[in-house]
This record gives sequence, structure tokens and C-alpha cells, in this order.
Amino acid sequence: MKYKSQAVAKPYFIAAIGLFLGQIVFGLIMGLQYVVGDFLFPAIPFNVARMVHTNLLIVWLLFGFMGAAYYLIPEESERELHSPKLALAMFWIFLVAGAATILSYLLVPYASLAKWTGNDLLATMGREFLEQPLPTKIGIVVVALAMLYNLSMTVLRGRKTAINLVMLVGLWGLAIFFLFSFYNPGNLVKDKYYWWWVVHLWVEGVWELIMGAMLAFVLIKVTGVDREVIEKWLYVIIAMALISGLIGTGHHYYWIGAPEYWQWWGSVFSALEPIPFFMMTVFAFNMVNRRRREHPNKAAVLWALGTGVMAFLGAGVWGFLHTLAPVNFYTHGSQITAAHGHMAFYGAYVMVVLTMISYTMPLMRGRAANGRVAQMVEMWSFWLMTVAMVFITLFLTAAGILQIWLQRVAAEPMSFMAAQEQVSLFYWMREVSGLIFLIGVLLYIGSFFIKGKSEAATT
Amino acid sequence: MWFFILAELLVFGVFFLAYAFARTRNVELFNASQLELDQLSGAINTVLLISSSYFVVRAVDQIRHGRSRSCTYWLLAAMTCGGAFLVLKLAEFGAKIEAGITMSTNTFFMFYLGLGFFHFMHVVLGMVILGAVTLKAWKGGYSAASYSGVETGAAYWHMVDLVWIILFPLIYVLH
Amino acid sequence: MMKAATFQWLVLLAMTAVAVGLSQATLSDNAILAPVLLTTLIKGRIVIDRFMALQGAIAPWRWIVLGWLVLVLGLIGYAFHMAQT
Ligand code: HEM
Ligand code: HEM
Ligand SMILES: [Fe+2]
Repeated sequence: MKYKSQAVAKPYFIAAIGLFLGQIVFGLIMGLQYVVGDFLFPAIPFNVARMVHTNLLIVWLLFGFMGAAYYLIPEESERELHSPKLALAMFWIFLVAGAATILSYLLVPYASLAKWTGNDLLATMGREFLEQPLPTKIGIVVVALAMLYNLSMTVLRGRKTAINLVMLVGLWGLAIFFLFSFYNPGNLVKDKYYWWWVVHLWVEGVWELIMGAMLAFVLIKVTGVDREVIEKWLYVIIAMALISGLIGTGHHYYWIGAPEYWQWWGSVFSALEPIPFFMMTVFAFNMVNRRRREHPNKAAVLWALGTGVMAFLGAGVWGFLHTLAPVNFYTHGSQITAAHGHMAFYGAYVMVVLTMISYTMPLMRGRAANGRVAQMVEMWSFWLMTVAMVFITLFLTAAGILQIWLQRVAAEPMSFMAAQEQVSLFYWMREVSGLIFLIGVLLYIGSFFIKGKSEAATT
Repeated sequence: MWFFILAELLVFGVFFLAYAFARTRNVELFNASQLELDQLSGAINTVLLISSSYFVVRAVDQIRHGRSRSCTYWLLAAMTCGGAFLVLKLAEFGAKIEAGITMSTNTFFMFYLGLGFFHFMHVVLGMVILGAVTLKAWKGGYSAASYSGVETGAAYWHMVDLVWIILFPLIYVLH
Repeated sequence: MMKAATFQWLVLLAMTAVAVGLSQATLSDNAILAPVLLTTLIKGRIVIDRFMALQGAIAPWRWIVLGWLVLVLGLIGYAFHMAQT
């Protein structure tokens, strides 16, 4: 760690990991409710658990991105953060607001929550991933703006590199596209447009910039490859991501009442979206193979490589699987979608945040890398989580294919619930894989508490 | 830049083939709709783009010999052709919209308007790139020893030309 | 060198004229397909090899771009041919 103020990243990362654990617990609750319908009834209904699961995911990833930004931007800009105090204040605001929101989901009926929080003034609630009550949404904007101010000032007065510029543009994009969540038109088609302009333009647009910048940052550090080489890759990757991703939004317009030509435009452009993800994989492996030094933090290298591979599998391969209109006609909104959503979110964004944490946490705790045992445990947790996620994806895909067959293709289509009944075996297997994933998370958390001889801090 | 160009060629290639194969399922409709196009305007546009590409070749040759000033003139000539292309194309689109034709009219017009507009945006981008190169050349920013900026801009412009060279016969001529 | 470029430019213009002429002439659809594609192929090759100056460039780029041209035109020809029979 070169600058004292980088340490504000630490509370962000700790909060992120804590919420991650919460997310997984609620995933498991839901997974069980899929097969044991009245589990925890009436304390935690499925729809509430689902909201908690997905919102915790988004919130902890945001914590991760923010922490990463507060660490990365000063180092790249070669100066202290503009205002560490502001960053810390925002952390507490975000944490309290986030926790209050999650608790209110669990303790108050959603409709009452809407009534109390001014949803009748400006209706924004009720859409997947964007369920937050109005005050929380405004809080997110305030926290994001304060962060952007803080980071932009740092970059403006410091060194400008491809990495900190891409990171900054990505974060600005994240904040700007979030503004679409404040508009909730009554027209269902328009409603869907605005929803996708947040969700799709996030994960298949600006978040890719954030991810690319984080990956490039860690790769420079752990491989010692020339900055020029890495920056060239970064530029090409983000250019491809934006070209394909923006018009690629059309792959969500097929059946929502948008004009028919979107079936062509959405199919062709989104078919190119795997390219940037593929390039990230090649990028990571290429840089590690050309490394100029053996960084003692082996775990961080493993996470970086894993991010490349799993992001390509989850977003690239599983995304491509159902992105062409004639295929999506059958798969739309089935378990195939859930399979893709899980692996893509895990492979791209969960893993890139964990990569960043893995690289920076030892440095913030005063050492170049953790001791051997701690790293071993961390690598075990990597494999447990990753393999478990692969199996979750495979079981959901199998469930999805069967579901589509029974419900949408067969000569005598079954009703939704009857088809679900038929595939419950896969849901049981998903739940078992989920338990293994949970063990992975627990090991991961445990690895932070293992003491032992550690490498001396150098950078 | 070459990576970019390849990606663009890939996109256009996929759309060209989509057009060709979508047509096989609807030959009559495509042929009938094609008759409504203004082939003359398309042909003039082809001449304009080909010529501008040629002018760009001359511009690159001039700067290779260190002649910034005449490089600028050739680039301006190329941009004039590009500008004329855009004007004609707008007139063509305008006439179609006047006639009540949109992307939703039928599959043929979806491709004609969609691909045409997509290519149009590339001409605009190409003009922006050429404009930046011209400005720098005008200020004497290139020399016989260093002119890779001109070459890069030229490569992009030729790509835009190349795409049109296929687009024109495909959509306006073949039936 | 620039004489060659001027000549190539004239060839491009001539090829365009041929293609337009062919489509105006009342030939059967079958008859124009091959010649029009051929003129397009020649035009494309001139732009790629001469204007973009890829002839003699480091190997992969030229072959990728030329390959793209041949593949696209070939498949277009195939699709149009299929549509006629
Ligand atoms: C890291 C990047 C990505 C993430 C995190 C992600 C995540 C998701 C999620 C969560 C959904 C479900 C949304 C819903 O609730 O309806 C979804 C849907 C979809 N994604 Fe992705 N995705 C990513 C990249 C991609 C890519 C690259 C493609 C295409 C190649 C793709 C294609 C699709 C399609 C077609 C759907 C709609 C499925 C349906 O019709 O039900 N995704 N994605
Ligand atoms: C890091 C790990 C995880 C990530 C990134 C993640 C992400 C997501 C996302 C994006 C959705 C919404 C999907 C959609 O709309 O299609 C979702 C829903 C869900 N997740 Fe997870 N999840 C994770 C772990 C788990 C685990 C371990 C389980 C349980 C074993 C689980 C069970 C579920 C269930 C049951 C749903 C609801 C699906 C539905 O509505 O039908 N998740 N998760
Ligand atoms: Fe998408």
C-alpha cells in the first residue's frame, strides 16, 4: 500500500464479505423453498427471500466496486485520496441504509414499506433488482455522487492512466444509468425498456469497464508486465464491450412489445458480446504467462485467472446459449435464464471483486501476501465455490431444458407447476451444491483469521 | 485500429448474410420492395465513396513525401465527397419516410433502413476521424517521418467504403 | 505509384457502371448474379490490397480481410442462387 488513504477500502471490503454471506444464506433458504414449499412459512416468504438475495448481491458488489475504486484510484493517480473522511462517512451511510433496507424487507410487508417511504410520491418500487424504497434509491445516488466527486478530484489532480480513467468512466456510467430506475412508466413496454437500461447496460456495459480496470490493475501488480501492453488490451476490450453491449440490449426486446426488427438487431449484436469476455480470458492468461516476477500472492493470481475463465463461461457461453431470438423464444424466463444469471454474476463480478480483495487485503494489513496456510485455505475456498457454482449452473440448465420441453415444446404441454414438480430432483441437487458453496464462503472468511508466517510487505 | 476494423467487418458481414438468407424465404416481397429504391442515388453514392477513398489514397501519398499542405487538400476533397454522400443519403431516407415506410413496414425495408442507417453512422464517424486528421495535417502535425495517424484514419475510411461496395449491389442491384 | 492508384480508381468506377448497367438491362435474374458478384469481388480486392495497402502487409491481416470478402460474397451468391431454384 503506497498511500495511507487507500486504507478506506478495508471497511468496504469487510462489509462486502459480510453481506455476501447473507446473500448465500438467503439463496439456500430459497433453494429449499423450491422443494419444500412451506419452509419458514410464514416468516420468510419466497418473494421476500428472493428480494433479499438479489439486493444483497447488488449491494455487496457495489461495496466491492467502491472499495476497489478507493484503493485503485489513489495508487494509479499517485496521490492521496481527495478526502478519506468523506469516503468513510459514505461507507457508514451506505452500510446503515443498506442494512435498514434489508431489515425492512424482512420485517415489514412490502406494500406497507412502499406506503411509508413515499412510493406514492414517485413510484419506483417493485421491479426486480430495483426494489429499494425511494429513500434508499436516493441514498445510493448521494453515496455514488460523493464517491465520484472524491475520486474525480483525485484523478484530476493526479496522474491519469488508462486504468483509472476506465474505472472512473465505468463508475460514472453506473451512477448515470441508475437514474433510469427513478422512472417507472405505467406502460408495460416502456417500463421494461427503462428496467433493462439499468440492468443490461450495467452488467453488459459499464460494469465491464469497471471489471476490466480492476483486472488490469491486479494483473499489472502481480505479473509486472509492461503497463503499455496491459493498457492496449484494456482499450480493445472495453471498445468491444461497448460496441456489442449497447445495441445488444435488443436481446431483451424480443417479446416485450418492441418492434419486430429487434429480433435481428438484438441477435446479431448480442452474439458479439462474448468477444470481450473471451478477450479478458486470453488477456489474463497471456499476462500471467509473460510475467516478469513471481508474486508471493498466489491466491490473487488464481482468482484473476478464474475470473477470466468463469466470466467467459457464464456470460459468454451461457449468455450466447439463449441470446438468439429463435432460441430465446423457447428459453425466455426459464431456469436457463437463472443458470446464466448465476454463473455470469459469479464468474464476472463476484470473482473480480474477490480478486481485488485477495490482492489488496494483505497489503492493507501490512504484508505483501498472506502466509502459506492462509493462502492454501483461500485457494481451497476458490475451488469449492467455483466448482459448486459450475454444478449449480449445470443442474439449473438441466432443469431448464426439461422444463422447456415439458412446458413449451411437448405435444401436450404441462402447466408451470406440474413441470416444476417433474424437475425437483435437479432442485435438490442445486441445493446440495449450494451447501458446498456455503462451505466455500465460510472457508474464505476463515482464511482471513489464519495467522502464520507472512511475506514481508514490499509494494 | 485493425482490431476495430475487423470487428466492424464481422458485424456487417453477419448482417449481409442475414439479408441474403432472409430473402430466400421471401423472394417476391424483396424483389417488389427493391423496385421502390432509388437506384440512381445509390449509384451516385457509390461513385462518391469510391472517389473519396481514392482521394484519401492520394492524401497518404502526399504526406509520405512530406507535403502537408497538399495532403490537407486531398483530405478535404475526400470529406467533401463524404459530405455529399451523407446529404444524398438523408434525402433518400427522407423520401422513404415521406412515403410512410419505416423499419416495421416489412423485412426488406427493415434491412434497407437499418443497414443503411448503421452504415450512415459509420460514414459520420469516418468523417469525424478524417476531420481530426485533416485538422492536424493542416497544422503541420504530420511529416514524412511520422504519419501513422493519417494511415489509421485512411484505413477506417476504406473500411467504410469497402462495406458500401458490398452493400450497394446486395440491396440495390441484385434481384 | 499514383498512376496505378488513378487507374484503380477508374476500374472501380467502371465496375460500378457495369453492375448498374446489368441491373437495368432486362436480363434474367440468374444472368446478372455472377457478373455483379464478380465485379464486387474485384472492387473489394482493389480496396483491400491497394487502397488499404494490405498487399505485402504482415500476413494474417490481409488473409483475414480477403477471406472475409470471399466468404461473404460466396455465401451471398449461394443464398441468391438457392432462392432462384
Ligand atoms: C457478466 C455479464 C452478465 C451478467 C451478470 C448477466 C446476468 C443476467 C441476468 C441476471 C439475467 C436475468 C434477468 C432477469 O431477471 O430477467 C440475464 C438475462 C439474459 N442475459 Fe445475461 N448477463 C451477462 C452477460 C450476458 C451476455 C454476454 C449475453 C449474451 C451473449 C447475455 C444474454 C442474456 C439474455 C439473452 C438474457 C435474457 C434471458 C431471458 O430471455 O429470459 N447475458 N443476464
Ligand atoms: C455468488 C453466488 C450467487 C449469485 C451471484 C447469485 C445470483 C442470483 C441472481 C442474479 C438471481 C436472479 C436470477 C434471475 O432473475 O434469473 C438469483 C436468484 C436465485 N438464487 Fe442465487 N446467486 C448465488 C448463489 C446462490 C445459491 C448458493 C443458491 C442456493 C442454493 C441460490 C439460489 C437462488 C434461487 C433459488 C433464486 C431464485 C430463482 C427464481 O426466482 O426462480 N443462489 N441468484
Ligand atoms: Fe442483456
